[in-house]
Amino acid sequence: MIAAAVVWLLQDLSQALAMGIMLVPEFFLLMLVYGIVSSPIRQERISLWIWFAFAGGILWDFRWAASPGMSSLINVGTVIAVYALWNRTPLAGRGAFLLAVIGGAAHFISGMIHYLAWATPSHAAVRMFIIQQLLGVPALALMCLIYAFRKTNVHV
Amino acid sequence: MAGKLNQILVNSLLAVFCGLMTMWFSHSFEAPTKAAADYVNDILSYPETPARELRSLVQAADNWVMERRGLQDRARALELENIALRAALQRSGVLRPESTYGFVGASVTLRYPESWWKEVRVNKGSSDGVVVGAPAISEGFMIGRVSSVGSDHAWIELVTSSAFLLAAVVVDTWDLGVINGDDMGNVWLMYMPPDKELSRGMLVATALVGDYLPPGIPVGMIWGPGEVRDGLMPHRVASGARLTQLYNVQILLSAPEERVP
Repeated sequence: MIAAAVVWLLQDLSQALAMGIMLVPEFFLLMLVYGIVSSPIRQERISLWIWFAFAGGILWDFRWAASPGMSSLINVGTVIAVYALWNRTPLAGRGAFLLAVIGGAAHFISGMIHYLAWATPSHAAVRMFIIQQLLGVPALALMCLIYAFRKTNVHV
Repeated sequence: MAGKLNQILVNSLLAVFCGLMTMWFSHSFEAPTKAAADYVNDILSYPETPARELRSLVQAADNWVMERRGLQDRARALELENIALRAALQRSGVLRPESTYGFVGASVTLRYPESWWKEVRVNKGSSDGVVVGAPAISEGFMIGRVSSVGSDHAWIELVTSSAFLLAAVVVDTWDLGVINGDDMGNVWLMYMPPDKELSRGMLVATALVGDYLPPGIPVGMIWGPGEVRDGLMPHRVASGARLTQLYNVQILLSAPEERVP
């Protein structure tokens, strides 16, 4: 969770740097996904992750969005969905590919919800959404690589 | 196992409920939500300082290159206009007035995607002399008006906001109208009679309306007529400032004796 907090701050700093130019990828959301799947699922920690996701979303909304609560709902929904999916997947199926699918879907859906919530969808908004999604791909790939590496070497 | 699953379920439902309540609260009570947002912004402004400074540096360099030529042309035009006005004042025997206004430069620290064309937050507030109603200027053109002020920040309502209303005059014809936005990035000069012939490129500037807003601040140029509604024809105004890329603005400060409470 400390790593996720650092990633939240990193995302905030990136957005401060890129404000007015683009929306940065949702590193924190991807970190939530990674946090859920990367360690052995201990159910007592999931509740902590839920509230951590909630707090991160609230802070993000108060800093960067006009509708506080939305990112919290998305983050909490993501944590619950990832937990449910990962928990129901047989051990043999829990790999980097599934993580890429889950992380990519979470990132896309989150971005899409934010885009649809904007009061005035425009070409500029579409461009920002696409750039955000494209920039999320390397982050997603890095996350999957780290997961695959750790799975091979640390047996997560 | 079931107990722990229930624990997860309870926490999930509770978190979702809290999220929904926060959304409802933020939509129902704007003032406390904005205060909370300002509080979070103030706290985060400390760790964000290096990122903001770096952004300002890059933008300053970029703006310097992009704006240099435009500003030189504009300065030349203003110099010529100034000479003409001084000559007119001299001929009419009026003493040249001293300016009682000043500027404070401010950086945009927040622009919500949801209200992109409505408002921006800047890092200068009442401690810098900023007051509600003061005009904000970018590249020599008015881009909005201060709508609320904190000690170290202010919110600027943009000319593109549908809530923005400002008396304005077409400088070439002295026709009066009202500047109004549409929340979509457009600026309109409203309440113009359809028989008025306004040409593209005519300068639109603030009219004499009192309080903190002096007349004559350029807002933009006439772009073209809109559709006649209720016997009146709005004209689209092209802002002289690049409203999509607002990073730094200047806020006009008036001398204390000029301010109206």
